[in-house]
Amino acid sequence: MLVKTGFVEIQISKPYDTFGEARGEKKARLFDVYGYIFLAHKLG
Amino acid sequence: MSKELAVDPVVLREEVKSKYRDVAINPSGEYHFHTGRPLVRRLGYDSAIVDSMPDAAVESFAGVANPFSLRSLEQGERVVDAGSGGGFDCFIAAHQIGPQGQVVGVDMLPEMLEKARKTAESMGLKNVEFREGLLEEIPVEDGWADVVISNGVINLCADKKGVFSELWRVLRPAGRLQFGDIANGKPVPESAIRNIDLWTA
Repeated sequence: MLVKTGFVEIQISKPYDTFGEARGEKKARLFDVYGYIFLAHKLG
Repeated sequence: MSKELAVDPVVLREEVKSKYRDVAINPSGEYHFHTGRPLVRRLGYDSAIVDSMPDAAVESFAGVANPFSLRSLEQGERVVDAGSGGGFDCFIAAHQIGPQGQVVGVDMLPEMLEKARKTAESMGLKNVEFREGLLEEIPVEDGWADVVISNGVINLCADKKGVFSELWRVLRPAGRLQFGDIANGKPVPESAIRNIDLWTA
């Protein structure tokens, strides 16, 4: 989606265990859900 | 409803409002996600900054990662926070950009906006404002922002293509987008994707 929109120089962070020890952890593990940071640039 | 969208955006929006209204009013309630200072510690925010903030600035935070981890903001930058909630990331942004920069937080929930505005005032932040709006129609002029941040909100929008077009529109040329969101490593069944109850569960 980022690329389709036109963003370039995209970086993605390491995964964050966002739901670890939370009530939603079981469901998150089921689908391997983690948080990430995305850094992208609009063409100049 | 558009044939391209998995769920009705209006119905989803109401579901999201209901869930996050609770987070604004009752931040210490039980949710399927972490909130507040425990979440901030989990995500690795700079404790030197966070510890100086009042509880109201942090308690309704429900992000999924740290948008400042890959790159910090620079002094004087103009920032839009898409889905600003209780304002926590806006307050971090304000600290990084200094008094010459500007932050505009955009959120659809009046309860979150009211809380964020009161907190900004109590913190004496003159360069942070909060506007009511949707990520599909961001109330910011074309090319205004040096940086757009967001944290755990885009995944709650049905029309992601529309959202990314808006994020693009408000950024200046060569501006940057730095946002946190969740992604799944295993495929989610089509039936689950179309089940609106699961989007906020």
